[in-house]
Amino acid sequence: MGSDQRDRKRSSVPSAPSVAELDDEIRGHLALEIQQRIDRGESPQQARANALKQFGYVPQMRDEMRRVWYGRWYDMAEALVQDMRVGLRSLMRAKGLAATVVITLALGIGANAAIFSVVRGVLMRPLVNRGEERLLYIRQSAPGIGVRSTTFSVPEIKDFRERATSIQAFGEFSTVEFTLVGLGEPRVVQAGVVDGHYFDVLGLRPTIGRLVEPSDEGFKAAGVAVLTNRFWTTSLNSDPSVIGKTIQLGSRSATVIGVLEPSVPYPADTEIIANMVTSPHHAGAQMITQRVHRMTQLFGRLADGKTIEDARAELSAIHSGIKTGNPESYPERSDMRIDVAALRDQIAAPARPVLLVLLAAAAVVFVIACSNVANLILARSVRREGELAVRAALGASRGALRRTLLAESLVLCGAGAVLGVLLARPMVAIVASFAARFSVRALEVTVDSSLLWVGVSLAMAAAVLLAYVPRLPSASSADAPSGLRRTRRSLGVGGPAGNGLAAGSIRITPATNRRLKIFATTQVAFSFVLLAGAATLLATLIALRSVNTGYDMAQVLAIDLPMKNLGMVTDEDLAFFQHVTERVDQLPGVEGVSMGAVTPWRDAGKLGRIPFGADGFTPANGEDNPRAFIRFVAPDFFHVMGVPLLAGRDFTPDDRRGNEGVVIVSQSLAQRIYPNGEALNHQVWWIDPFFGPKPFPRRIVGIVADADDEHIARGSVMTVYHPLYQMGLGGRMFVRASVDPYSLVKPITQIVQGLSVNQPVERAATLEDVRAEVLAPDRLNAFVFSGFAGVALLIAVVGVSGVLAFGVSARTREFGVRLAIGSTPYLLLMKVLEEGAVIVSVGIIAGTAFGYLFAGIASSYFQQLTMPGLAPLLGAAAVLIGAAIAASLMPAARASRVDILQALRSE
Amino acid sequence: MAKTPDPERLELLQGTLDMLILRTLQWGAQHGHGIGQAISSQSDDLLKVETGSLYPALHRLEKRGWLKSEWGISEANHKAKYYQLTAAGKAQLARERDRWSQLVDVIGKIMNPAAE
Repeated sequence: MGSDQRDRKRSSVPSAPSVAELDDEIRGHLALEIQQRIDRGESPQQARANALKQFGYVPQMRDEMRRVWYGRWYDMAEALVQDMRVGLRSLMRAKGLAATVVITLALGIGANAAIFSVVRGVLMRPLVNRGEERLLYIRQSAPGIGVRSTTFSVPEIKDFRERATSIQAFGEFSTVEFTLVGLGEPRVVQAGVVDGHYFDVLGLRPTIGRLVEPSDEGFKAAGVAVLTNRFWTTSLNSDPSVIGKTIQLGSRSATVIGVLEPSVPYPADTEIIANMVTSPHHAGAQMITQRVHRMTQLFGRLADGKTIEDARAELSAIHSGIKTGNPESYPERSDMRIDVAALRDQIAAPARPVLLVLLAAAAVVFVIACSNVANLILARSVRREGELAVRAALGASRGALRRTLLAESLVLCGAGAVLGVLLARPMVAIVASFAARFSVRALEVTVDSSLLWVGVSLAMAAAVLLAYVPRLPSASSADAPSGLRRTRRSLGVGGPAGNGLAAGSIRITPATNRRLKIFATTQVAFSFVLLAGAATLLATLIALRSVNTGYDMAQVLAIDLPMKNLGMVTDEDLAFFQHVTERVDQLPGVEGVSMGAVTPWRDAGKLGRIPFGADGFTPANGEDNPRAFIRFVAPDFFHVMGVPLLAGRDFTPDDRRGNEGVVIVSQSLAQRIYPNGEALNHQVWWIDPFFGPKPFPRRIVGIVADADDEHIARGSVMTVYHPLYQMGLGGRMFVRASVDPYSLVKPITQIVQGLSVNQPVERAATLEDVRAEVLAPDRLNAFVFSGFAGVALLIAVVGVSGVLAFGVSARTREFGVRLAIGSTPYLLLMKVLEEGAVIVSVGIIAGTAFGYLFAGIASSYFQQLTMPGLAPLLGAAAVLIGAAIAASLMPAARASRVDILQALRSE
Repeated sequence: MAKTPDPERLELLQGTLDMLILRTLQWGAQHGHGIGQAISSQSDDLLKVETGSLYPALHRLEKRGWLKSEWGISEANHKAKYYQLTAAGKAQLARERDRWSQLVDVIGKIMNPAAE
């Protein structure tokens, strides 16, 4: 019995013993047995040998003891592990196949995991804001005139505040640009101006200091500014001493009071958020009294017990009341409406269609990858049918055979998943930076565990799917077309038809062949869908890039010279412009200098289309006044930009304040209003309260060619140009250069800052580069989709080529016979190519049908979905057919080179 | 492991090994080797417990909570695992003993009707 009680340790809860413990127990037993035998007089060696002999086979014993604890599952898992080991070994012998499968799966799994991570991060993750589920974004839109968000005016917000009960509190935010002086270099920053409730409504906290509070409201309060976390950490190195600093925001000063916690910047990615007093514009009578002076974004927090539907119904009702009370501010044609959305959905909305399309593209790549892998596995299993048949004949159950296949596909898919997840990590960053163009939330997307479980579950799905692709040989059916009979033959066992077919020649059954072709066709079809999509995007991009913009693109440099004041230019500004223009004009390599208010495309939407009237012109019955873009340009602008003057004269320095009001109009406007070509010297005026209660007619002195600085795709544009020195906004300089335009940036900056020390000089770029910058999202779109399509094409090519190669190697004998009876190698080559062509053609037809079906479904969810034109479709088809023919060439060449004797000997 | 069954030896009846192990441990903790020895010696060497059945049985009983185990040092001065009855094991032993006597009675009745 136990000799040393002290050494005993208690293990009260029965838990499965480890292998080491089992070994210890067995050693303990053997030690006792040996001791006993030695006591009985056996020699130590003999005792040891006998003890071991009596005990039995140790590993088996250990397994039996273990099995008590694990039961049936242990057996199965062990068998599976065993099978996987075998699978791994047999795959090591087929390295090429294994590598193809693993890489194919990795691409499919990686793409899906990466995109899913981004989708989850952008569309599904809650915001950091306290009580974010009760946070609303309220939008006023005017679908009648195609405006998605008109924002709100001060009187409108006042009405909502007074009447709404479903909203506990409203917060106001308007975006402004400030010239910021006092934090680093003077420069223009995007800023928000908010009321005292904004931060409380949004549920945001300060990282340090405090945020704008109700006590900061009113136009007598001191100016205060909150820094956004991004600005504070990236530009100011998280310097806490910034609190209390006084900064200059345009013409006003403000004290930095705090730093906002990291949060999604919405509606604008700002660097600073200040109280209203910092923006003189917000204190103006126009802002406060005019119902149509809309520039504020409205947020709300739901009252307790109210739902978003309650809020939507109530606010819509209030809005209808406001509309009937103020018909002049809500023209019927505008059809103004109120909509209420959860802030989270509002932020995600622009990215949703793009991400869902990407997710669909990734899913398609996965389907292609799986069907390709299925093909490879199927081809392999045909070669393995013999082995499986032997195992079945020896009594392996169907389950056991399935398990063998499952183990092998698990090994493959596991490796694919590992590689896929590794691939996905960098892909997340790429996709996130892509998605960031549509939703700011993508900036915070990080690699998380979802990547892993998406990868793993996709791999599992693929593994199970793949294990069920090959048909199992049946051991019982004597007339089975595959498997055993053939194997019996190949093993030389004999049998009724046992004429000793040499091993190494595989026969492919019609059913297997059909399956292989179906999978290959599927790949081609799906690849075609992706290719066609990518081709459409590329075609659009090419069309946009090559469009004639009406400007001289390469030689014109656009520079931002932001003004301190947001409003109309002052005399002081004009004098400054004049000086800058004169000095820059003298620089060598400068052919012309002018000023304006709008950099083409980059500033799109800055100055809207305004209704106007013209003498001798009345809109047709029931039609509204026509609208035109308003632009402010200095003399020589059209020459600098390369826009031809078609009639009349350019502006001169005499077109200034106090002199006659004049304008230049675009060709489209002149033709629309004065179809007989007599536009010169007629008068036009704006119809908008902003320009005063009475119309102020101005004489048309010139007509210029159309130049669309708003739209990337050029349309006919009605534009009215004012002389900048007479009225308007400034802030943009244009320089026409005969040398490299960028070489002028430095001397120009020196001139400007020599004249005005704190004047920012920013974003210098040629018009060509501005356009490229604006086209970047389209380019990125096309790039990402082309990437997907490229991967799909690659996989499909491998698939088609694989199927044909397999077919050829399985039909060596047939080709031999054909050659023997007089077929030429050329005919065989063509025959294989033809087979490839059939697969591709059927695939393309199926892909077109599927693509249109899918697009039909998708277009009911997304607006703006355009069906691809014929040219991109044909292009995609051509690429696919070309690739497929290239892929068929190798197997076809092999077929034509079949050695007759070799082939027939194998019979 | 005897290759040919010893005619002198009795084969254990199916299902009785668990009961014998529980019975052997009634008087205190013992390691696997000792249990096997105890069963043989108490049967005058007529019953021989194979290690191949004994150890899985011990683990089975431990897993069901009828035995608990502790590590100790054996008389061979080697680490050994000592098994011990738990309260549930004692109850189980009582149950099995009852079942066994019932079975012996019934089978005895059938085999020796005259004795009644």
